Amino acid sequence: MIVVRELCKSFGDHLVLDHINDHIRPGEKVVVIGPSGSGKSTFLRCLNLLETPTSGSISFDGLEITRPKTDIDAVRRKMGMVFQHFNLFPNMTIRRNITLAPVRTGLLTAAEADKAADALLARVGLGDKAEAYPAQLSGGHKQRIAIVRALAMKPEVMLFDEPTSALDPEMVGEVLDVMRELAEEGMTMVVVTHEMGFAREVGTRVLFMDEGKILEQNSPAELFGNPNSERLKSFLAKVL
Amino acid sequence: MDLWTDFTRKFQAAFVTGDRWKLYLGGLLSTLELTVFALALGTVLGVIVAVLRSAHDQQRLGQHNPILAVLNAVCKVYTTVIRGTPMLVQLLIWRFVILPTVRDYTLVGALGLGINSGAYVAEIVRGGLMSVDAGQSEAGRSLGLGYLDTMRFIIIPQAFKNILPSLGNEFITLLKDTSLVSAIGGAELVYYAQSVGSRTYEVMFPYIGIAILYLIVVMFLTWLQGRLERRLRQSDRRS
Repeated sequence: MIVVRELCKSFGDHLVLDHINDHIRPGEKVVVIGPSGSGKSTFLRCLNLLETPTSGSISFDGLEITRPKTDIDAVRRKMGMVFQHFNLFPNMTIRRNITLAPVRTGLLTAAEADKAADALLARVGLGDKAEAYPAQLSGGHKQRIAIVRALAMKPEVMLFDEPTSALDPEMVGEVLDVMRELAEEGMTMVVVTHEMGFAREVGTRVLFMDEGKILEQNSPAELFGNPNSERLKSFLAKVL
Repeated sequence: MDLWTDFTRKFQAAFVTGDRWKLYLGGLLSTLELTVFALALGTVLGVIVAVLRSAHDQQRLGQHNPILAVLNAVCKVYTTVIRGTPMLVQLLIWRFVILPTVRDYTLVGALGLGINSGAYVAEIVRGGLMSVDAGQSEAGRSLGLGYLDTMRFIIIPQAFKNILPSLGNEFITLLKDTSLVSAIGGAELVYYAQSVGSRTYEVMFPYIGIAILYLIVVMFLTWLQGRLERRLRQSDRRS
């Protein structure tokens, strides 16, 4: 589904991604872990070109999205993204946050989008928040709505960039629950996270990144059970 | 008692005799017209310049649109020249160098003011666009919205709220700067005050009179601005 070849990204002289190769298949739940500064968020943000790779290529459903000619907006419609800081639009009601993109891109009519928004909000237990503004909601609610907003575009893959890192501890669970349900429904997911429990339970493949490289990858059971490299062992010792 | 009769006599000469108050009212009206015209022109120019310049600055790395580069350069020259030269000098140049044959001096003044204001509005708007968190634009684009849609629905409304105070100040400055148009013969408030003064040989009442008129209009605009700001803060309510 997503094929990454020899992906490099540098900010100035600093090489953040160092020749990354990976193939994300439909239905996979890829969890990316690693210390901060390891390049995992940059890797995720390259997948929908929020960061422009310095070199290398990324293909999505056979289309090379790193070519300058590619209509990146059309590609992004099929890739949902959830951010650490939610990034809900504060100037709009929750309903409009959800319906804006599907309506503007012609995916749904206004009436269809309204219905879809209600259904999606009900699904995450926030059916009564449609007319509220983001500032009136807790972090956990905001992130559940950010997930719903991305889902309204009916994406083929969902990218999560540390979705629980900015939340109060008591709100992490409600967001992870939504993500878990999404995984059970078969959504292809790429998740950058520090939630090792989630990685172990939901992930089908875990990537360990450090210094811009994928140092190790394996099933969660193997990766957490039998870490090969010293670097991963010492990382796991600190976070588990 | 002498002082009082002197006062009423001068007051009468300045405002009452020959229905002169109508002159001030007409002057106020054309000052307001001048402001509205310049405001409209300045806002349109300012927003276009600001959007062009931010579009140029936010291009994907390694992609350089040559048309955008030229437009950006033009915009930069425009803001530099306009902000780097005095308003009065610009008005004189419009009147005597660029448009010496146009007889409607008020219109020439309005044009000069609007083009001047556009440069300041552009910088205010550009600052406003930059003040919106980058995550907002990323969220819009990640949903598949294009640059223009993201600007229109997400960035500009938030930027507008942030820049309203400075924009209000700019508009108030503009209103007061219309007085400079009298220097190129434009018929506005100062022009009529001067013409009354030259007929009565008494300038205190006309000038203080128009100062009060400007003050009233500015106070009204300030009040209006406060109301608008409160309205826009609606989405910040937490209850």
